[in-house]
Amino acid sequence: MSNQAIYEELDNAVNSLLQGDPAGVEQSGSAVGELLLLAGALREMPRPEFRSRLRLELQNEAARLSGSDALPHAARRGSLISVPGGASRRASDEQILPTLFGAGYGNYPVYRSNFVVSAVLHAAAIAIVLASSLWFAGHPQQVKQQVISLIGPGDYTLPAAKTKAGGGGGGGDHDKLAASKGSAPRFASEQITPPAIVVRNDNPKLAAEPTVVGPPDIKLPQTATLGDPLSRILTSSNGTGSGSGIGTGDGGGVGSGTGPGVGPGHGGGIGGGIYRVGGGVSAPRVIYDPDPEYSEEARQAKYQGTVVLWIVIGADGRAHDVRVSRALGMGLDQKAVEAVRSWRFQPAMKDGHPVAVQVNVEVNFRLY
Amino acid sequence: MKAQLPEMGLKAVEAETDERLLIEAAQRDPRRFGELYENNFDRVYAFIASLVFDRSEAEDLTAEVFHQALAKLGQFEWRGTPFIAWLLRIASNAIADRWQKRSRYPEISDSDLEEPGAEDGTERRVMLAQLLEELPSDQKLVMVRRFLDQRSIRDIALELKRSEGAVKQLQFRALESLRNRMGEKR
Repeated sequence: MSNQAIYEELDNAVNSLLQGDPAGVEQSGSAVGELLLLAGALREMPRPEFRSRLRLELQNEAARLSGSDALPHAARRGSLISVPGGASRRASDEQILPTLFGAGYGNYPVYRSNFVVSAVLHAAAIAIVLASSLWFAGHPQQVKQQVISLIGPGDYTLPAAKTKAGGGGGGGDHDKLAASKGSAPRFASEQITPPAIVVRNDNPKLAAEPTVVGPPDIKLPQTATLGDPLSRILTSSNGTGSGSGIGTGDGGGVGSGTGPGVGPGHGGGIGGGIYRVGGGVSAPRVIYDPDPEYSEEARQAKYQGTVVLWIVIGADGRAHDVRVSRALGMGLDQKAVEAVRSWRFQPAMKDGHPVAVQVNVEVNFRLY
Repeated sequence: MKAQLPEMGLKAVEAETDERLLIEAAQRDPRRFGELYENNFDRVYAFIASLVFDRSEAEDLTAEVFHQALAKLGQFEWRGTPFIAWLLRIASNAIADRWQKRSRYPEISDSDLEEPGAEDGTERRVMLAQLLEELPSDQKLVMVRRFLDQRSIRDIALELKRSEGAVKQLQFRALESLRNRMGEKR
Protein backbone atom coordinates (compact mmCIF):
# COMPACT_ATOMS: atom_id res chain seq x y z
CA MET A 1 0.00 0.00 0.00
CA SER A 2 1.37 3.40 -0.95
CA ASN A 3 1.91 6.16 1.58
CA GLN A 4 -0.82 8.23 -0.03
CA ALA A 5 -3.30 5.38 0.36
CA ILE A 6 -2.39 5.04 4.04
CA TYR A 7 -2.92 8.76 4.61
CA GLU A 8 -6.33 8.53 2.97
CA GLU A 9 -7.33 5.42 4.91
CA LEU A 10 -6.30 7.01 8.18
CA ASP A 11 -8.18 10.21 7.41
CA ASN A 12 -11.35 8.33 6.48
CA ALA A 13 -11.15 6.40 9.74
CA VAL A 14 -10.52 9.63 11.70
CA ASN A 15 -13.57 11.21 10.05
CA SER A 16 -15.68 8.25 11.13
CA LEU A 17 -14.25 8.49 14.63
CA LEU A 18 -14.98 12.20 14.94
CA GLN A 19 -18.50 11.70 13.58
CA GLY A 20 -19.17 8.83 15.97
CA ASP A 21 -19.50 6.23 13.24
CA PRO A 22 -18.16 2.94 14.69
CA ALA A 23 -18.75 1.06 11.44
CA GLY A 24 -16.36 3.35 9.58
CA VAL A 25 -13.73 2.87 12.27
CA GLU A 26 -14.03 -0.89 12.20
CA GLN A 27 -13.53 -0.97 8.44
CA SER A 28 -10.06 0.52 8.74
CA GLY A 29 -7.10 -1.77 8.24
CA SER A 30 -4.53 -2.87 10.74
CA ALA A 31 -2.02 -0.34 9.39
CA VAL A 32 -3.90 2.52 11.03
CA GLY A 33 -5.50 0.63 13.92
CA GLU A 34 -2.96 1.70 16.56
CA LEU A 35 -3.02 5.27 15.33
CA LEU A 36 -6.80 5.36 15.68
CA LEU A 37 -6.51 4.44 19.34
CA LEU A 38 -4.32 7.49 19.82
CA ALA A 39 -6.74 9.60 17.78
CA GLY A 40 -9.57 8.50 20.06
CA ALA A 41 -7.58 9.55 23.13
CA LEU A 42 -6.69 12.87 21.54
CA ARG A 43 -10.35 13.52 20.80
CA GLU A 44 -11.10 13.29 24.51
CA MET A 45 -8.35 15.70 25.57
CA PRO A 46 -9.51 19.03 27.02
CA ARG A 47 -10.00 22.00 24.73
CA PRO A 48 -6.96 24.29 24.77
CA GLU A 49 -8.81 27.20 26.38
CA PHE A 50 -10.44 25.06 29.07
CA ARG A 51 -7.34 24.79 31.25
CA SER A 52 -6.63 28.52 31.34
CA ARG A 53 -10.28 29.38 31.94
CA LEU A 54 -10.58 27.00 34.84
CA ARG A 55 -7.41 28.43 36.33
CA LEU A 56 -8.83 31.93 36.03
CA GLU A 57 -12.03 30.87 37.70
CA LEU A 58 -10.10 29.22 40.53
CA GLN A 59 -8.04 32.37 40.97
CA ASN A 60 -11.20 34.40 41.36
CA GLU A 61 -12.59 31.89 43.82
CA ALA A 62 -9.31 31.87 45.74
CA ALA A 63 -9.32 35.67 45.87
CA ARG A 64 -12.86 35.58 47.25
CA LEU A 65 -11.95 32.95 49.86
CA SER A 66 -8.90 34.89 50.98
CA GLY A 67 -11.10 37.91 51.60
CA SER A 68 -9.44 40.17 49.04
CA ASP A 69 -11.09 41.68 46.06
CA ALA A 70 -8.05 41.59 43.87
CA LEU A 71 -10.03 40.76 40.78
CA PRO A 72 -13.39 42.47 41.27
CA HIS A 73 -14.21 42.52 37.59
CA ALA A 74 -13.46 38.87 37.09
CA ALA A 75 -15.41 37.95 40.19
CA ARG A 76 -18.50 39.64 38.79
CA ARG A 77 -18.48 37.42 35.75
CA GLY A 78 -20.72 34.40 35.59
CA SER A 79 -19.53 30.83 35.68
CA LEU A 80 -17.25 29.89 32.84
CA ILE A 81 -17.88 26.20 33.26
CA SER A 82 -21.06 24.69 31.96
CA VAL A 83 -22.98 22.74 34.57
CA PRO A 84 -24.59 19.37 33.88
CA GLY A 85 -28.07 19.64 32.51
CA GLY A 86 -27.77 23.17 31.12
CA ALA A 87 -24.94 24.98 29.48
CA SER A 88 -24.49 28.58 30.40
CA ARG A 89 -25.19 30.99 27.59
CA ARG A 90 -22.52 33.28 28.93
CA ALA A 91 -19.99 30.49 28.68
CA SER A 92 -20.78 29.87 25.02
CA ASP A 93 -20.62 33.59 24.25
CA GLU A 94 -17.22 33.90 25.85
CA GLN A 95 -15.93 30.97 23.87
CA ILE A 96 -16.75 32.83 20.69
CA LEU A 97 -14.99 36.10 21.54
CA PRO A 98 -13.34 36.03 24.95
CA THR A 99 -11.86 39.53 24.75
CA LEU A 100 -15.24 41.11 24.06
CA PHE A 101 -17.00 39.32 26.89
CA GLY A 102 -14.29 39.95 29.41
CA ALA A 103 -12.46 36.68 29.89
CA GLY A 104 -9.43 37.21 27.69
CA TYR A 105 -7.16 34.50 26.45
CA GLY A 106 -4.71 34.58 29.29
CA ASN A 107 -4.87 34.67 33.04
CA TYR A 108 -5.95 38.29 33.25
CA PRO A 109 -9.45 39.59 32.53
CA VAL A 110 -10.09 42.09 29.78
CA TYR A 111 -12.31 45.04 30.57
CA ARG A 112 -15.07 45.71 28.08
CA SER A 113 -14.54 49.45 28.40
CA ASN A 114 -10.97 49.04 27.15
CA PHE A 115 -12.22 47.09 24.18
CA VAL A 116 -14.78 49.79 23.33
CA VAL A 117 -12.29 52.64 23.74
CA SER A 118 -9.81 50.84 21.51
CA ALA A 119 -12.46 50.27 18.85
CA VAL A 120 -13.55 53.93 18.94
CA LEU A 121 -9.98 55.21 18.68
CA HIS A 122 -9.24 52.94 15.75
CA ALA A 123 -12.43 54.03 14.00
CA ALA A 124 -11.54 57.69 14.54
CA ALA A 125 -8.03 57.19 13.17
CA ILE A 126 -9.36 55.44 10.08
CA ALA A 127 -11.93 58.22 9.56
CA ILE A 128 -9.21 60.90 9.75
CA VAL A 129 -7.03 59.08 7.23
CA LEU A 130 -9.94 58.60 4.83
CA ALA A 131 -11.16 62.20 5.17
CA SER A 132 -7.70 63.69 4.57
CA SER A 133 -7.16 61.41 1.57
CA LEU A 134 -10.47 62.49 0.05
CA TRP A 135 -9.69 66.16 0.68
CA PHE A 136 -6.30 65.92 -0.99
CA ALA A 137 -7.82 64.07 -3.93
CA GLY A 138 -10.52 66.73 -4.35
CA HIS A 139 -8.35 69.84 -3.96
CA PRO A 140 -5.27 69.38 -6.15
CA GLN A 141 -4.89 73.11 -6.84
CA GLN A 142 -4.82 74.06 -3.17
CA VAL A 143 -2.28 71.35 -2.53
CA LYS A 144 -0.06 72.62 -5.31
CA GLN A 145 -0.26 76.19 -4.06
CA GLN A 146 0.81 75.07 -0.68
CA VAL A 147 3.79 73.27 -2.10
CA ILE A 148 5.18 75.74 -4.63
CA SER A 149 4.76 79.51 -4.86
CA LEU A 150 5.92 81.65 -7.74
CA ILE A 151 6.96 85.27 -7.80
CA GLY A 152 6.69 86.47 -11.37
CA PRO A 153 7.55 89.77 -12.94
CA GLY A 154 4.51 91.46 -11.44
CA ASP A 155 2.16 94.12 -12.82
CA TYR A 156 3.87 97.28 -11.68
CA THR A 157 5.92 99.52 -13.96
CA LEU A 158 9.27 100.79 -12.81
CA PRO A 159 9.98 104.53 -13.01
CA ALA A 160 12.23 105.62 -15.84
CA ALA A 161 15.97 105.60 -15.24
CA LYS A 162 17.66 108.92 -15.80
CA THR A 163 20.17 107.74 -18.35
CA LYS A 164 19.27 104.19 -19.33
CA ALA A 165 16.27 102.29 -20.63
CA GLY A 166 17.90 99.33 -22.29
CA GLY A 167 18.10 98.85 -26.02
CA GLY A 168 20.15 100.89 -28.41
CA GLY A 169 20.62 101.73 -32.01
CA GLY A 170 23.10 102.64 -34.64
CA GLY A 171 23.48 103.94 -38.11
CA GLY A 172 25.78 105.57 -40.62
CA ASP A 173 25.88 106.23 -44.30
CA HIS A 174 28.87 104.20 -45.40
CA ASP A 175 31.47 106.95 -44.82
CA LYS A 176 35.07 105.86 -44.82
CA LEU A 177 35.67 107.57 -41.51
CA ALA A 178 34.12 106.63 -38.23
CA ALA A 179 31.41 108.87 -36.83
CA SER A 180 32.60 112.05 -35.26
CA LYS A 181 32.16 112.95 -31.62
CA GLY A 182 29.10 114.88 -30.53
CA SER A 183 25.90 114.52 -28.57
CA ALA A 184 22.97 112.37 -29.49
CA PRO A 185 19.74 114.12 -30.41
CA ARG A 186 16.86 114.13 -27.98
CA PHE A 187 14.68 111.09 -27.49
CA ALA A 188 11.23 110.91 -28.95
CA SER A 189 8.58 108.22 -29.16
CA GLU A 190 8.75 108.24 -32.95
CA GLN A 191 11.51 109.11 -35.29
CA ILE A 192 10.77 111.30 -38.29
CA THR A 193 14.23 112.34 -39.25
CA PRO A 194 17.30 110.32 -38.29
CA PRO A 195 20.28 112.30 -37.01
CA ALA A 196 23.11 113.17 -39.37
CA ILE A 197 26.40 115.03 -38.97
CA VAL A 198 27.00 115.46 -42.64
CA VAL A 199 23.69 116.57 -44.09
CA ARG A 200 23.29 115.37 -47.63
CA ASN A 201 20.10 117.28 -48.37
CA ASP A 202 20.40 120.92 -47.40
CA ASN A 203 16.93 121.86 -48.56
CA PRO A 204 14.42 119.24 -47.50
CA LYS A 205 10.83 119.79 -48.54
CA LEU A 206 9.57 119.20 -45.02
CA ALA A 207 12.14 119.91 -42.37
CA ALA A 208 11.90 118.01 -39.07
CA GLU A 209 14.05 117.88 -35.98
CA PRO A 210 16.32 114.80 -35.92
CA THR A 211 15.52 112.49 -33.00
CA VAL A 212 16.28 108.99 -31.80
CA VAL A 213 13.70 106.57 -30.43
CA GLY A 214 13.67 106.11 -26.69
CA PRO A 215 11.89 107.25 -23.55
CA PRO A 216 11.28 111.00 -23.87
CA ASP A 217 11.83 111.34 -20.12
CA ILE A 218 15.51 110.63 -20.53
CA LYS A 219 17.46 113.81 -21.00
CA LEU A 220 20.95 113.46 -22.40
CA PRO A 221 23.53 116.27 -22.30
CA GLN A 222 23.15 118.30 -25.46
CA THR A 223 25.86 120.19 -27.35
CA ALA A 224 25.65 122.19 -30.50
CA THR A 225 27.08 119.37 -32.56
CA LEU A 226 25.37 116.09 -33.23
CA GLY A 227 27.53 112.98 -33.16
CA ASP A 228 28.37 109.73 -31.44
CA PRO A 229 29.02 110.43 -27.73
CA LEU A 230 31.44 107.52 -27.59
CA SER A 231 33.57 108.61 -30.57
CA ARG A 232 36.89 110.42 -30.40
CA ILE A 233 36.96 111.48 -34.03
CA LEU A 234 36.64 115.15 -34.63
CA THR A 235 36.42 115.07 -38.43
CA SER A 236 32.85 115.30 -39.50
CA SER A 237 31.52 111.98 -40.61
CA ASN A 238 28.25 110.05 -40.30
CA GLY A 239 30.20 106.85 -39.75
CA THR A 240 30.71 103.58 -41.53
CA GLY A 241 27.35 102.14 -40.67
CA SER A 242 24.23 101.95 -42.83
CA GLY A 243 20.59 102.87 -42.90
CA SER A 244 21.17 106.58 -42.09
CA GLY A 245 21.92 107.87 -38.61
CA ILE A 246 25.35 108.12 -37.01
CA GLY A 247 27.87 105.44 -36.12
CA THR A 248 28.87 101.96 -37.12
CA GLY A 249 25.55 100.27 -36.68
CA ASP A 250 22.40 100.09 -38.70
CA GLY A 251 18.94 101.54 -38.56
CA GLY A 252 18.80 105.33 -38.11
CA GLY A 253 20.10 105.62 -34.57
CA VAL A 254 23.39 106.64 -33.02
CA GLY A 255 26.14 104.19 -32.18
CA SER A 256 27.07 100.62 -32.91
CA GLY A 257 23.73 98.95 -32.36
CA THR A 258 20.76 98.25 -34.54
CA GLY A 259 17.68 100.40 -34.71
CA PRO A 260 16.70 104.00 -34.02
CA GLY A 261 18.08 104.26 -30.47
CA VAL A 262 21.48 105.15 -29.03
CA GLY A 263 24.25 102.77 -28.11
CA PRO A 264 25.23 99.15 -28.62
CA GLY A 265 21.79 97.58 -28.14
CA HIS A 266 18.97 97.18 -30.55
CA GLY A 267 15.38 98.23 -31.11
CA GLY A 268 15.59 101.78 -29.79
CA GLY A 269 16.34 103.23 -26.37
CA ILE A 270 19.73 103.56 -24.77
CA GLY A 271 21.90 101.57 -22.42
CA GLY A 272 22.70 98.42 -24.32
CA GLY A 273 21.05 95.04 -24.41
CA ILE A 274 17.32 94.70 -24.61
CA TYR A 275 14.55 96.71 -22.97
CA ARG A 276 13.93 96.47 -19.28
CA VAL A 277 10.65 97.18 -17.60
CA GLY A 278 10.24 100.87 -16.81
CA GLY A 279 10.76 104.13 -18.65
CA GLY A 280 7.70 103.65 -20.82
CA VAL A 281 8.10 99.89 -21.15
CA SER A 282 5.19 98.08 -19.51
CA ALA A 283 5.69 94.86 -17.60
CA PRO A 284 4.78 91.60 -19.30
CA ARG A 285 1.79 89.81 -17.77
CA VAL A 286 1.65 86.07 -17.22
CA ILE A 287 -1.38 84.51 -18.90
CA TYR A 288 -0.46 80.78 -18.61
CA ASP A 289 1.80 79.60 -15.82
CA PRO A 290 1.68 75.92 -14.96
CA ASP A 291 3.44 75.21 -11.67
CA PRO A 292 6.79 73.46 -11.67
CA GLU A 293 7.00 70.01 -10.18
CA TYR A 294 9.05 69.09 -7.16
CA SER A 295 11.94 66.83 -8.05
CA GLU A 296 11.77 63.42 -6.40
CA GLU A 297 15.28 63.78 -5.03
CA ALA A 298 14.47 67.07 -3.33
CA ARG A 299 11.14 65.79 -2.03
CA GLN A 300 12.78 62.82 -0.38
CA ALA A 301 15.45 65.05 1.13
CA LYS A 302 12.78 67.60 2.21
CA TYR A 303 14.86 70.25 0.44
CA GLN A 304 13.43 73.78 0.12
CA GLY A 305 14.51 77.14 -1.25
CA THR A 306 14.21 79.67 -4.04
CA VAL A 307 15.45 79.55 -7.63
CA VAL A 308 15.95 82.87 -9.41
CA LEU A 309 15.71 82.78 -13.19
CA TRP A 310 16.88 85.41 -15.64
CA ILE A 311 14.62 85.33 -18.67
CA VAL A 312 13.88 87.35 -21.76
CA ILE A 313 10.21 87.59 -22.63
CA GLY A 314 9.98 88.14 -26.32
CA ALA A 315 7.46 90.10 -28.32
CA ASP A 316 5.83 86.75 -29.10
CA GLY A 317 4.96 86.28 -25.42
CA ARG A 318 7.29 83.31 -24.94
CA ALA A 319 10.23 82.95 -22.60
CA HIS A 320 13.58 83.04 -24.38
CA ASP A 321 17.10 82.70 -23.15
CA VAL A 322 16.15 81.28 -19.75
CA ARG A 323 19.14 81.28 -17.42
CA VAL A 324 19.51 80.32 -13.81
CA SER A 325 20.56 83.40 -11.86
CA ARG A 326 20.54 81.75 -8.44
CA ALA A 327 20.62 77.97 -8.36
CA LEU A 328 19.14 75.69 -5.73
CA GLY A 329 20.27 72.25 -6.89
CA MET A 330 18.81 68.75 -6.40
CA GLY A 331 17.01 68.98 -9.74
CA LEU A 332 14.87 71.96 -8.73
CA ASP A 333 16.68 74.37 -11.11
CA GLN A 334 15.86 72.16 -14.07
CA LYS A 335 12.25 71.81 -12.94
CA ALA A 336 11.92 75.59 -12.66
CA VAL A 337 13.47 76.15 -16.13
CA GLU A 338 11.20 73.55 -17.69
CA ALA A 339 8.12 75.17 -16.18
CA VAL A 340 9.05 78.73 -17.18
CA ARG A 341 9.77 77.67 -20.75
CA SER A 342 6.15 76.58 -21.02
CA TRP A 343 4.76 79.85 -19.71
CA ARG A 344 2.95 82.30 -21.98
CA PHE A 345 2.95 86.07 -21.47
CA GLN A 346 1.17 89.12 -22.68
CA PRO A 347 4.37 90.80 -23.86
CA ALA A 348 5.77 94.06 -22.56
CA MET A 349 4.55 97.06 -24.52
CA LYS A 350 6.37 100.19 -25.55
CA ASP A 351 4.52 102.87 -27.46
CA GLY A 352 1.78 100.41 -28.26
CA HIS A 353 4.11 97.81 -29.69
CA PRO A 354 5.19 94.53 -28.07
CA VAL A 355 8.88 94.51 -27.22
CA ALA A 356 11.23 91.98 -25.72
CA VAL A 357 12.17 92.66 -22.11
CA GLN A 358 14.39 90.99 -19.55
CA VAL A 359 12.87 90.09 -16.17
CA ASN A 360 13.82 88.00 -13.18
CA VAL A 361 11.50 85.30 -11.91
CA GLU A 362 11.69 83.73 -8.46
CA VAL A 363 10.42 80.19 -7.99
CA ASN A 364 9.91 79.21 -4.35
CA PHE A 365 9.95 75.53 -3.52
CA ARG A 366 8.41 74.79 -0.14
CA LEU A 367 7.27 71.57 1.49
CA TYR A 368 4.44 71.67 4.04
CA MET B 1 21.02 0.34 39.11
CA LYS B 2 21.83 0.00 42.77
CA ALA B 3 23.80 3.20 42.69
CA GLN B 4 20.77 5.03 41.35
CA LEU B 5 18.41 3.98 44.10
CA PRO B 6 19.57 6.45 46.79
CA GLU B 7 19.39 9.30 44.27
CA MET B 8 15.85 8.39 43.23
CA GLY B 9 14.82 8.21 46.85
CA LEU B 10 16.29 11.65 47.48
CA LYS B 11 14.37 13.10 44.58
CA ALA B 12 11.13 11.58 45.82
CA VAL B 13 11.67 13.10 49.25
CA GLU B 14 12.43 16.49 47.72
CA ALA B 15 9.26 16.36 45.61
CA GLU B 16 7.23 15.34 48.63
CA THR B 17 8.65 18.20 50.66
CA ASP B 18 7.97 20.69 47.87
CA GLU B 19 4.39 19.51 47.52
CA ARG B 20 3.83 19.72 51.26
CA LEU B 21 5.15 23.27 51.30
CA LEU B 22 2.87 24.17 48.42
CA ILE B 23 -0.16 22.70 50.17
CA GLU B 24 0.62 24.51 53.41
CA ALA B 25 1.12 27.78 51.54
CA ALA B 26 -2.22 27.32 49.75
CA GLN B 27 -3.95 26.54 53.03
CA ARG B 28 -2.66 29.82 54.46
CA ASP B 29 -3.45 31.78 51.29
CA PRO B 30 -5.85 30.16 48.77
CA ARG B 31 -4.37 32.31 46.02
CA ARG B 32 -1.36 29.99 46.05
CA PHE B 33 -3.59 27.13 44.86
CA GLY B 34 -2.64 27.84 41.21
CA GLU B 35 0.59 25.86 41.33
CA LEU B 36 -1.11 22.80 42.79
CA TYR B 37 -3.69 23.10 40.03
CA GLU B 38 -1.03 23.23 37.30
CA ASN B 39 0.90 20.31 38.76
CA ASN B 40 -2.11 18.03 38.92
CA PHE B 41 -4.43 19.09 36.11
CA ASP B 42 -3.25 16.57 33.50
CA ARG B 43 -3.53 13.59 35.80
CA VAL B 44 -6.95 14.54 37.17
CA TYR B 45 -8.36 15.16 33.72
CA ALA B 46 -6.82 11.95 32.33
CA PHE B 47 -8.29 9.96 35.20
CA ILE B 48 -11.76 11.35 34.64
CA ALA B 49 -11.56 11.08 30.82
CA SER B 50 -10.52 7.44 31.08
CA LEU B 51 -13.77 6.75 32.91
CA VAL B 52 -16.36 8.97 31.25
CA PHE B 53 -15.10 8.95 27.61
CA ASP B 54 -16.81 12.28 26.89
CA ARG B 55 -14.87 15.50 26.70
CA SER B 56 -17.61 17.90 27.84
CA GLU B 57 -18.45 15.75 30.81
CA ALA B 58 -14.77 15.27 31.64
CA GLU B 59 -14.30 19.03 31.62
CA ASP B 60 -17.30 19.60 33.86
CA LEU B 61 -16.11 16.99 36.32
CA THR B 62 -12.55 18.31 36.30
CA ALA B 63 -13.80 21.78 37.11
CA GLU B 64 -15.98 20.39 39.88
CA VAL B 65 -13.04 18.48 41.39
CA PHE B 66 -10.77 21.51 41.56
CA HIS B 67 -13.51 23.74 42.92
CA GLN B 68 -14.20 21.22 45.66
CA ALA B 69 -10.48 20.83 46.35
CA LEU B 70 -10.07 24.58 46.74
CA ALA B 71 -13.08 24.82 49.02
CA LYS B 72 -11.96 21.87 51.20
CA LEU B 73 -8.24 22.54 51.14
CA GLY B 74 -8.30 23.55 54.80
CA GLN B 75 -9.50 20.04 55.74
CA PHE B 76 -6.58 18.34 54.03
CA GLU B 77 -4.09 16.84 56.45
CA TRP B 78 -0.66 15.82 55.31
CA ARG B 79 -0.08 12.16 56.15
CA GLY B 80 2.52 11.33 53.55
CA THR B 81 -0.02 10.53 50.86
CA PRO B 82 0.48 12.42 47.61
CA PHE B 83 -1.88 15.31 47.00
CA ILE B 84 -2.98 13.71 43.72
CA ALA B 85 -4.47 10.79 45.63
CA TRP B 86 -6.69 13.19 47.56
CA LEU B 87 -7.73 14.87 44.29
CA LEU B 88 -8.52 11.56 42.63
CA ARG B 89 -10.63 10.52 45.60
CA ILE B 90 -12.66 13.68 45.11
CA ALA B 91 -12.86 12.86 41.41
CA SER B 92 -14.03 9.31 42.13
CA ASN B 93 -16.77 10.63 44.39
CA ALA B 94 -17.84 13.20 41.85
CA ILE B 95 -18.07 10.61 39.09
CA ALA B 96 -19.99 8.25 41.36
CA ASP B 97 -22.44 10.99 42.26
CA ARG B 98 -22.90 11.81 38.60
CA TRP B 99 -23.52 8.21 37.65
CA GLN B 100 -25.88 7.58 40.51
CA LYS B 101 -27.94 10.65 39.64
CA ARG B 102 -28.32 9.33 36.13
CA SER B 103 -29.15 5.87 37.43
CA ARG B 104 -26.85 4.31 34.88
CA TYR B 105 -25.03 2.52 37.60
CA PRO B 106 -27.09 2.07 40.76
CA GLU B 107 -23.99 1.21 42.74
CA ILE B 108 -20.34 1.98 42.15
CA SER B 109 -17.78 -0.41 43.44
CA ASP B 110 -14.26 0.59 44.42
CA SER B 111 -12.90 -1.58 41.66
CA ASP B 112 -14.59 0.69 39.14
CA LEU B 113 -12.73 3.68 40.49
CA GLU B 114 -9.26 2.45 41.12
CA GLU B 115 -6.31 4.64 41.84
CA PRO B 116 -4.70 5.96 38.64
CA GLY B 117 -1.21 4.68 39.41
CA ALA B 118 -2.42 1.29 38.38
CA GLU B 119 -4.64 2.62 35.68
CA ASP B 120 -2.90 2.20 32.38
CA GLY B 121 -5.44 4.36 30.56
CA THR B 122 -4.78 7.33 32.82
CA GLU B 123 -1.00 7.08 32.55
CA ARG B 124 -1.35 6.77 28.80
CA ARG B 125 -3.41 9.90 28.55
CA VAL B 126 -1.03 11.87 30.77
CA MET B 127 1.88 10.73 28.64
CA LEU B 128 -0.03 11.62 25.47
CA ALA B 129 -0.69 15.15 26.71
CA GLN B 130 3.02 15.60 27.47
CA LEU B 131 4.17 14.16 24.15
CA LEU B 132 1.72 16.34 22.24
CA GLU B 133 3.55 19.40 23.57
CA GLU B 134 6.85 17.99 22.27
CA LEU B 135 5.69 17.58 18.67
CA PRO B 136 7.01 19.89 15.93
CA SER B 137 4.85 23.00 15.71
CA ASP B 138 3.11 22.13 12.42
CA GLN B 139 2.27 18.60 13.55
CA LYS B 140 1.07 19.84 16.91
CA LEU B 141 -1.16 22.44 15.25
CA VAL B 142 -2.72 19.78 13.02
CA MET B 143 -3.37 17.54 16.05
CA VAL B 144 -4.96 20.36 18.04
CA ARG B 145 -7.13 21.55 15.16
CA ARG B 146 -8.15 18.07 14.04
CA PHE B 147 -8.88 16.37 17.34
CA LEU B 148 -9.26 19.02 20.03
CA ASP B 149 -11.08 21.58 17.87
CA GLN B 150 -12.47 18.85 15.57
CA ARG B 151 -11.94 20.85 12.39
CA SER B 152 -12.01 19.35 8.90
CA ILE B 153 -8.90 18.69 6.82
CA ARG B 154 -10.02 21.37 4.37
CA ASP B 155 -10.30 24.03 7.10
CA ILE B 156 -6.87 23.15 8.44
CA ALA B 157 -5.37 23.23 4.94
CA LEU B 158 -6.81 26.71 4.40
CA GLU B 159 -5.43 27.91 7.73
CA LEU B 160 -1.97 26.49 7.08
CA LYS B 161 -2.06 27.48 3.38
CA ARG B 162 -1.09 23.94 2.42
CA SER B 163 -2.74 21.26 0.35
CA GLU B 164 -5.18 18.82 1.89
CA GLY B 165 -2.81 15.98 1.00
CA ALA B 166 -0.01 17.68 2.92
CA VAL B 167 -2.24 18.09 5.97
CA LYS B 168 -3.23 14.41 5.82
CA GLN B 169 0.43 13.52 5.68
CA LEU B 170 1.14 15.72 8.72
CA GLN B 171 -1.75 14.05 10.53
CA PHE B 172 -0.29 10.63 9.82
CA ARG B 173 3.25 11.66 10.75
CA ALA B 174 2.11 13.21 14.02
CA LEU B 175 0.11 10.16 15.12
CA GLU B 176 2.95 7.89 14.07
CA SER B 177 5.43 9.97 16.03
CA LEU B 178 3.20 9.91 19.13
CA ARG B 179 2.83 6.13 18.85
CA ASN B 180 6.58 5.61 18.51
CA ARG B 181 7.45 7.88 21.43
CA MET B 182 4.87 6.27 23.67
CA GLY B 183 6.34 2.89 22.77
CA GLU B 184 9.80 4.14 23.72
CA LYS B 185 8.64 5.44 27.11
CA ARG B 186 6.81 2.29 28.14
